[in-house]
Amino acid sequence: MPLPLEGIRVLEVGTFVSAPYCGRLFAGYGAEVIKVEPPGGDIARAHGPFKDGVPDPETSALFLYLNTSKRSVELDLGSQAGRDAFLRLAADADVIIENYRPSDARALGLDYERLRAVNPRLVLVSITAYGQEGPYAEYHSNNLIAFAMGGQMFLTGDPDKPPVKNGGYQADYQGGLNAFSAANLALLAAERDGEGQHVDISVQHCMAPILEAGVPFYSYNGLWLGQRRGNLMSSFMGVYPCLDGQVGVHVMARNWPPFAEATGHPEWLEDERFATAESRREHDDVLMAEVIAWAAGMRKKEAYALGGEFRAPITFIHTMEDLLESPQLEARGFLRRIEHPVAGEASYPGPPWWMGPDAWRDGPAPLLGADTQVVLAEAGLSDAEIATVAGAPA
Amino acid sequence: MKAPLAGIRVVDLTMVWAGPFGTRLLGDYGAEVIKVEGPGQWDLLRGLGGIPRTVDRWYNRAAYFNHNNRNKYSAAIDLRQEAGRDLLLQLLAKSDVLVENYRANVMDNLGLSFEEVRAVNPRIVYVSMPGHGKTGPEAHYVTYGTNVEQLAGLVSVSGYEGGEPLKTGFSYGDPTAGLAVPAAVALGLRQRNRTGEGVHIDLAQRENLTGFVGEYLVDYSMNRELRAPAGNTHPHFAPHGVYPSGGEDRWITIACENDEQFGGLCRAMQQEELADDDRFATMATRKANERELDAIIEEWTSTWGHYEAMHILQRHGVPAGAVLTIPEVMSDPQLRARGAWSEQVHPDAGTWEVETPPWNLTRTPGHARIPAPGFAEHNSYVFRDLLGLDEETIARLYADGVTADEPNVQSHT
Repeated sequence: MPLPLEGIRVLEVGTFVSAPYCGRLFAGYGAEVIKVEPPGGDIARAHGPFKDGVPDPETSALFLYLNTSKRSVELDLGSQAGRDAFLRLAADADVIIENYRPSDARALGLDYERLRAVNPRLVLVSITAYGQEGPYAEYHSNNLIAFAMGGQMFLTGDPDKPPVKNGGYQADYQGGLNAFSAANLALLAAERDGEGQHVDISVQHCMAPILEAGVPFYSYNGLWLGQRRGNLMSSFMGVYPCLDGQVGVHVMARNWPPFAEATGHPEWLEDERFATAESRREHDDVLMAEVIAWAAGMRKKEAYALGGEFRAPITFIHTMEDLLESPQLEARGFLRRIEHPVAGEASYPGPPWWMGPDAWRDGPAPLLGADTQVVLAEAGLSDAEIATVAGAPA
Repeated sequence: MKAPLAGIRVVDLTMVWAGPFGTRLLGDYGAEVIKVEGPGQWDLLRGLGGIPRTVDRWYNRAAYFNHNNRNKYSAAIDLRQEAGRDLLLQLLAKSDVLVENYRANVMDNLGLSFEEVRAVNPRIVYVSMPGHGKTGPEAHYVTYGTNVEQLAGLVSVSGYEGGEPLKTGFSYGDPTAGLAVPAAVALGLRQRNRTGEGVHIDLAQRENLTGFVGEYLVDYSMNRELRAPAGNTHPHFAPHGVYPSGGEDRWITIACENDEQFGGLCRAMQQEELADDDRFATMATRKANERELDAIIEEWTSTWGHYEAMHILQRHGVPAGAVLTIPEVMSDPQLRARGAWSEQVHPDAGTWEVETPPWNLTRTPGHARIPAPGFAEHNSYVFRDLLGLDEETIARLYADGVTADEPNVQSHT
């Protein structure tokens, strides 16, 4: 069985996280992904954390993770010769993924009309903070700012403290996954119609609608709580310290009886203060104190096992160590050991979804410019031309 | 121009948020989505609208439900009855895609496993999206969105600098799973078109979200060191944080990634001498003296509104953004200019604004075509037009409680 995206050729002109994550998913599911890196490489190579803490463009964990199974071409799109060479590659590509500000993208030759002239079937995916047009289209952004302007940051944090972003680069990852879904819809349409298109992803537009009930309740009912709630959302939804970490609880009305059983408090089911979802909300403080006291005496894996046994939504906060030791991830073969020529062997997350045993591949991230010579020669450039656009071949 | 998923019929068994958000995206981009609920097993979001149960058809008026279920039809079928299962299989025989987000063994127990569905439709793209996936020792554990981010490792690296792990302010695991659905379905359809055969997709919500912290996993696996939450700071860049602006609980984010942007910040604050100050002249010294620098910036930001400060800073080339509240998100000029909201009229719930499809596919755009369906609103379309059932058969389905026009309101309290 061929890989799901076998036969698809993708050029990724992306830096840092969002476009590279989209490219990683294309590559994992079988597309040929050519990462076009500027001279010196993607800035994620300089980001780290590095193996053993020693900076090296080939051992940055962020780069290693985001660029699995890709090829690397080092090409200066700031030069006319570089842009001409890129156009030759674009003529044969199905998808281009980029994440520059619109004016910066055009300066690098990533102009949809020009690309379309050489390849009408091409799908150009542009991931930007605000989209291709509008009053903020040229505003500078990054993960922190996108998290703020998408409305997710205001909700996150403690009530008496400033808002705080969640870990890593969540706004960027959201941009990458949104782009992957959108790109694959456009690819289906291109295969059907013989015509590509420009796909315009605004991270702000992607983030704003997914604030849980926030937008619908405000838009429809005029209700807005306007307050962050930290880890203690309520007695039935939150993160509570335990003996060796934290446990998480998310109890919907139908989970209340199994939750009381799992926590060893069947008497809660007889307590009329806790008899209905409404009465539990009325006595939220009392119940929360009980739940906090229960959690404080538990070990995290023990609480999780009880949740599983009683079918109560109790989990524990998994650290990276817990993920590497997770019996569930182990049984499913989710974590992949990948050998990299410079960084050595490490564990990586596998596919975001399974489509059969051979639907995903795990190749290492490429060394900077490792495929420059071969890819440009395939595109028909002579050795002399390659030397001009790429400097000394790797 | 035809939408990307025009002509694709989706049977949607999902409930609550992750699944319905994913199938809504399929509807936004042209699929015909038929949401199937049981007369007693209806989507519990219908009951979370804060609408008093004395109001007529309160179950059609919940904002949260209507938000996540536009561009869908609704049919009521009790899958626990043999006749209901048969009815669903008839519908699946005429469909392209099935999406379900039950716990791992529920579909198998209903006699609706991939193998059983494939027997009536060998070309089916069958998408399961349980929290833990369909297999493994934890497959039967119950999880919701906040649990998913805890299992994915995200919460362990989130929080204030030096503080405890912190949850995201909403059930982050839900929409991040929903966002994967269009890609998973597109890959499944592509494979089906090529091979002529259906495919079973197993989307474990926790695995999908673990992909959003992959660099932490690779780092830990190489270096065996757990990273503490870092708040709004960045490992290399400073300033990089959130600063108070004028007004109660209003904030602005500023993040300078190079000397040029920092120079712009100094000019905007009319303190150009800071750019040459030994403490702040290079990225490394700015990072080393971050707290001192933050105090200076705070003094300036607190004299401006968050939007004002953003516009001033952006005019000087500084990455900056207001921390928008939900009302501000809905009135934001950029989102308005992009057409991010449109009015929707719902026969029971009235008129309100919903967001438009998020991705601008310029040649084949998405649309918010129809409002969320009332419970069982499209029974007739499904039973008569699609399945061609005769009146006698339909009457029997109603009489036996296999279908209904109204939900059993006792089943969720």
